Amino acid sequence: MALADYSNALMPDTRGFSTSSLQNVDDPEKAFADITRQDYESYIQDYRSFEESLIDKAKNDTSLIDRAPEDAAKQSEIAQGVQDRNISRYGGAGLSVAQRQQQQVANQRQGQLGLAAGLNTSRTAQRDINQSTLADLINIGQGVNRSSLSSMGTASQNAAAKASAYKNAKASHTSQMIGMGSSLAATAIMAFAI
Amino acid sequence: MSSKPKAQDYQASEAEKTQASVAKAEKDYFNQTYAPLLREMRDTASQEDLGGVARGVAGADTMQSLTGQGPSLAGTKSVDQAADLASAAVGQMAAASAQGLAASRQQQTGVLGTARGQAGEAMSGLAQASRIQNTKDLQAAKAKQQVREAQTAAAVNVGTTLFAQGAQNLGSGSSFFGGKTEVKDSTNKDKNIERTNTLADRFSIGTYG
Repeated sequence: MALADYSNALMPDTRGFSTSSLQNVDDPEKAFADITRQDYESYIQDYRSFEESLIDKAKNDTSLIDRAPEDAAKQSEIAQGVQDRNISRYGGAGLSVAQRQQQQVANQRQGQLGLAAGLNTSRTAQRDINQSTLADLINIGQGVNRSSLSSMGTASQNAAAKASAYKNAKASHTSQMIGMGSSLAATAIMAFAI
Repeated sequence: MSSKPKAQDYQASEAEKTQASVAKAEKDYFNQTYAPLLREMRDTASQEDLGGVARGVAGADTMQSLTGQGPSLAGTKSVDQAADLASAAVGQMAAASAQGLAASRQQQTGVLGTARGQAGEAMSGLAQASRIQNTKDLQAAKAKQQVREAQTAAAVNVGTTLFAQGAQNLGSGSSFFGGKTEVKDSTNKDKNIERTNTLADRFSIGTYG
């Protein structure tokens, strides 16, 4: 099959496309201004609250630490359940009362140790994640700051250039008027042979 | 004298207008196609519970590692097996929660970075959340379980060999532990006499029967 046939078969909608069908932009400067305004409005509507919530989480999130006690209790309960079922499966497994008590003691001790270890691990991890998120956000913020300063610089340069061009044009106009006035005066002097 | 400047001479050229039209079309296409995708990603990154996924994987890993071989009598009799299981599971859960949260945050900052025109993070949060490292608690519990199983296997092995050898010793007219042998005498004079086997006798019996 020829390439053109593939194109026809795969992209029937875009095959006859022409740039003449594009919307005319007679004033690119105005279009650019509109797009810039629109983009900023979209950002405010769609992402500002998301960004603020993320900054808040990076500063104050404690979800990992909050979950640790719940996890320790739950896992201890699961392990206890596994042990009870196994003992029942083996018909008591020949365990003496003392051995059974020791198992209970070990489980309780582990529950407390697990809670302490889980809390310590979670605190460290939480701090690490919050710091890392904050660092990423600051990085993004710095990028935004850089590009906004750059845009501001361009806008300010353009404004300064326009102001300077206006001043030059004004000075040039004044000197032109003075020149024209003086040559009219010179002509009048010559004409009337003063 | 030059003529008065004409406004049309200062308007955008045809090339500039075409460039602006194409750029506008591209921008509209982006707004229609990619902007909704990014908003969708924002919602996914906000709502998706990657911690839950990671915790599920961690729980399955822990149980598969420590209870996957089925229950054993030695394990059931052990004082600390359940405690080890709980300890490993708590460690794994903490690691999984942290991994899930880190993946969520990375996804969220990635979306925000893209929305703010900064570099986005291409890595899928879900893939990252599933890659949970085994915690040292799980490894320790697993190692302990393996040692316990190996000890049981060794004890069973020694016991079986001892029983088999004892039975063989009894069968060959010696005592169970092979310490004494009944003296065989064709004259039947010393029929019930036993003698203590030396190390050389034991080696000879063990090697040649």
